[in-house]
Amino acid sequence: MSISGACVPAVSDGLELSVTRVGKSYGATVALEQADINLRAGEVHSLLGENGAGKSTLVRILAGAVVPDCGAMNLHGEPYRPTSITEARHQGVSTAFQELSLVPNLSVAQNLMLPRIPKSVFFILSAAETMRRASSILARYDLERLDPAAEVASLPLAERQRLEIVRALENARRVLILDEPTASLAETDWLFGQIRHATDRGVAVLYISHRLAEVREICQRATVLRNGRTIASVSLNEASNDDIFEMMVGRRDDHVRKHASSALKDAAPRLSVHSLSNGVLVDASFNVRPGEILAVAALEGQGQRSLFRCLAGLEPAKSGSIEIDGREHSISSPRKALKAGSGIAYLPEERKTEGILAGLSAATNIVVPILSRISTARLVGQKAEAEAAGPEGAKVELNERYLSFAIGDLSGGNQQKALIARTLATGARTLLLFDPTRGVDVGTKQAIYGAIRAFAANGGSVLFYSSELPEIVQLADRCMVLYQGKIVETFEDTAIDEQGLVAAMIGHRATAPLRATQ
Amino acid sequence: MTSRAQNTSYIAVQDKRGNAKVSRETISAFSVAVLCVVMLLGSRFISPSLGSWSQVETVLTLGSFLVVLSFGQGLVVLSGGLDLSLPALITLGGVLSTAWVGAGNPDALFLLPLVLVGCGLVGSFTAVGVVWLKVPPFIMSMATSIMVASATLGMTNGTTRGAAPELLADLMKSQIAGVPASILLLLAFVFLGWIVQARSVFGRHVYAVGTNVQAARIAGIPVTLTQFLPYVISAVCAGFVGMMLVGYSNGATLRMGDNYLLPSIAAVVIGGSSILGGRGTFLGTVGGAILLTTLGTVISAIGLNFGLRTIIEGSIILIALLVLRDEFFERLRGFRKP
Amino acid sequence: MSKIGVVHPKRSMKSVLLRGSFIILALYIALYVVYAVQQPRALGAGAIASLVNNTVPLALASAGQAIVVLSRGFDLSLAGVVSITNVVMAVYPLEGPGGALVSLAICLAIGGVVGAVNGWLVAYLRIQAIAATLATMIVCQGVALLILDAPGGAVAEWVSYELTDRIFNFIPVSGLILGSVVCLWLLARKTDFGVALYAIGADEHAARLSGVPVLKVRFFAFVLAGMIYGLAGYMLSAQTATGSPTAGEPLLMLSFAAVALGGTSLSGGKGGLFASVMGAATLMLLQKVLFSSGVSSFYTGIFQGAVLIFAVMFSALLTRLGERKSK
Repeated sequence: MSISGACVPAVSDGLELSVTRVGKSYGATVALEQADINLRAGEVHSLLGENGAGKSTLVRILAGAVVPDCGAMNLHGEPYRPTSITEARHQGVSTAFQELSLVPNLSVAQNLMLPRIPKSVFFILSAAETMRRASSILARYDLERLDPAAEVASLPLAERQRLEIVRALENARRVLILDEPTASLAETDWLFGQIRHATDRGVAVLYISHRLAEVREICQRATVLRNGRTIASVSLNEASNDDIFEMMVGRRDDHVRKHASSALKDAAPRLSVHSLSNGVLVDASFNVRPGEILAVAALEGQGQRSLFRCLAGLEPAKSGSIEIDGREHSISSPRKALKAGSGIAYLPEERKTEGILAGLSAATNIVVPILSRISTARLVGQKAEAEAAGPEGAKVELNERYLSFAIGDLSGGNQQKALIARTLATGARTLLLFDPTRGVDVGTKQAIYGAIRAFAANGGSVLFYSSELPEIVQLADRCMVLYQGKIVETFEDTAIDEQGLVAAMIGHRATAPLRATQ
Repeated sequence: MTSRAQNTSYIAVQDKRGNAKVSRETISAFSVAVLCVVMLLGSRFISPSLGSWSQVETVLTLGSFLVVLSFGQGLVVLSGGLDLSLPALITLGGVLSTAWVGAGNPDALFLLPLVLVGCGLVGSFTAVGVVWLKVPPFIMSMATSIMVASATLGMTNGTTRGAAPELLADLMKSQIAGVPASILLLLAFVFLGWIVQARSVFGRHVYAVGTNVQAARIAGIPVTLTQFLPYVISAVCAGFVGMMLVGYSNGATLRMGDNYLLPSIAAVVIGGSSILGGRGTFLGTVGGAILLTTLGTVISAIGLNFGLRTIIEGSIILIALLVLRDEFFERLRGFRKP
Repeated sequence: MSKIGVVHPKRSMKSVLLRGSFIILALYIALYVVYAVQQPRALGAGAIASLVNNTVPLALASAGQAIVVLSRGFDLSLAGVVSITNVVMAVYPLEGPGGALVSLAICLAIGGVVGAVNGWLVAYLRIQAIAATLATMIVCQGVALLILDAPGGAVAEWVSYELTDRIFNFIPVSGLILGSVVCLWLLARKTDFGVALYAIGADEHAARLSGVPVLKVRFFAFVLAGMIYGLAGYMLSAQTATGSPTAGEPLLMLSFAAVALGGTSLSGGKGGLFASVMGAATLMLLQKVLFSSGVSSFYTGIFQGAVLIFAVMFSALLTRLGERKSK
């Protein structure tokens, strides 16, 4: 057995999967240069790195979706060279993908069974057997509440993510790969419980997430990628957040402290919402002042989506009114929202499907709402776009050379920067940001926070929703908590802390005795 | 403990993705142009009368019909739709020009634009169906096509009458300073079309809507108007093509538009546009149209029977599609990286 | 405790399908009633057989088209395959039942080969379906012209007599053939291939990640469709008894209309073959109804276009209502 320049560790080390010097290039683009990672049985191992560092390529290679150009992989002592996801699954390596690999027009049961749906006679599929097996799988993972006959497209995003995870759990005999598994989950109890069951069975788990707090809770070790190479593998007990930041980004973190609020205390509110009801949302009333950053905290599906979509003009309100600068406006489309008074600009939840205009350049994406403004005689060229987009891009620390790239070619973090630059470019004085740092790396997060703070310091108003409490604590002047469609509590300034927020989010009022959290 | 990286650059992430300096669309337009020239030069070997300047003139004149038509179709495709009603509108434009306006009509200068307005109204009908009634563009434009063709048939009672208005005949067949007016018209139209698609605010909006309607809506683009106008424009272009054809051949027939539908789609696709919308340039489409026309004239000159000629034409389109694929571009772009 | 997720009355996919078929079936029956009122003779076995014979070629063409459309594609080569099979039948007639069987095999083979080329171009070389099938259609058109450059030739007598005839003087043979294709499809829908077809039509990326052999399924869909077009050309030859190099052209656009009319989404993943067949039947019946209403043949197009628009709108409306109800 030839050893192609790579050292093959013995199985007795307890290693399930060892990966040495894998690389992958697409034409002239080097996605992954040299990555090494070792997963031990029964261990939860984190893969850290910024967008563009090569994480998704490495995940695809491990999952069997992509064949590497070089390097060696060993699974349980044997060479591991899957040519398809199905083959990887047969060998016991199963993946829950970030971009959800569920087929929307098939049922839950069918998705769970794909690609081997149970048959009755010859090639004919057995619907009854499919249902039976699916029900037993769902029961095994505490998901009985999902109807196996339901169409996946009709499930809320969080349940779809759970289904994706269950599918991976079911097939993971040796290695379980979870790529951003909590992106759409509001709480981690169920997931972490399932992960612990898996590790008890001896499965090696690879956990990819941007949320360091979560990573520290569930993972034992971490491997950091930067620019397509493995920088280090560390035990999480021994590495501080600053150390990790430095490994990921290449420089020391300039800890930005929470600064004083720029909210003008006595100014008239810029955005005023009265008894707004829409979908899950019931009777919401609040104000946002100039210079204020107001956060919304909530568990999944408590009305925050309805609130934002209503304010952005994507959904009509069932009742209630919206006032901007003291005047009532009926906002029937995002275009109207931009034109309502001093303007409302909306950053959508999913940049891939509702945000970016993939084939157009980043500069065009940034200035697309104000094209008529920067045009002469309704004509506009690349130069005019670049000139208008440049300053906005600078506000979010978007590298100028990326402006001419097709936005679809940029990393997720840069795409998000460009979309936020777009909201700034509109000139609107109120920003509606739904999860502005979702799926975005630490470096980009800081840049986005900086842009938001600068906007507020300049007198703008910001209303944002985030599922990451530390972010809210760091950024918000005030925070509203939504529970079952109602604003149950509002926290001010220094009163904003994670424990208080969590308590309100799960329905405890400030007057009730606080449940002891971990 | 941890090694400090020797990374002096504080740019957080080196985006190692392909440098999009030279876009896929540019390469596509360029390759199509090259293919055209090669074909024209190569045709010399088939017959000495080919490959000459007069042949180029013929190709450009003949190609002008397809260029004008493909602009409209290209705009509709760019916005995410498809217009199958173009042949019927060509016929409508042609028939109205001869039967309603006709030769020797003193009001021709006033009436001909009205014909275009009428075509625009038909396009609006298609647009209303697609944008408001949410009928798929394929079906709606097909329905419009059937209805207009039928109405034209009924109007003319099965036979076309009338000759071409002098204005149109002059437009297509006269010369200005030694250059055929039709070629000048073509150049002017190409310039105008390029301005509209690549340099106007409206053009940008169409690209956006064709890429992702919801994202375009959230970005504040007037989606309804942007989806509506391309159908009106394509209808007007088709009507104008009918008028051009009337001027060129001095008359209209009831099936004059039939042979132009598939070539209009082919020109758009060969020119590098995506049939799903959001990608492509008009210059590429022009290249595709000229390529198809060149191909047609060269092949007609080959003395083979019609069947063989058709097979060769189809095969060359196939080859063009194979060559103009995305992967080919990736490799080309790779070679250009420093 | 109530479960999460929408369950349609039966099973998700099936019920949407049935709903689309139900609408078009109802439309067909309504139209037939109108027709019967106009022409009482229409209810006779002979008239029904004639109607079925006329409908079957378009119905088969639409069936094949539906398969490709479900996988999120377009197939323009339909016109080419039908033209080639038609001229082959007319220029090389093979007599007797044995000859008919061999001819059938030849037609299926021609369709299969063209389908394979399409499948290879679209699935493996990733050329857009509308462009690739446009090119293959043109090539096929040329081949048809090579074999027969002007309308003429004669189809084998056995074929043109028996296949337009009735069994027990009642059931049209062509109808049986169409029926068996539909039955084969209903079976195929319940196989891995059927589920995979709908999957890649809805979300090819997710299907690939779920382990569905996307390339193979798409390739096979084109081959299957091509074979059904071959059968359509075979039945068309039986119907017209003669050959024409452009025999397939009129079927092309109508096949899309039939597919959309039956409620199959042109962006894939939704709808079915039976509904598309019913859509084709409705279009053919509509022509007859318009003709017998005395509408001048010049203006029938206006009605056809209007009906097409309204039927598609209606079908979409009902589908949306159905979805909203079960939520």
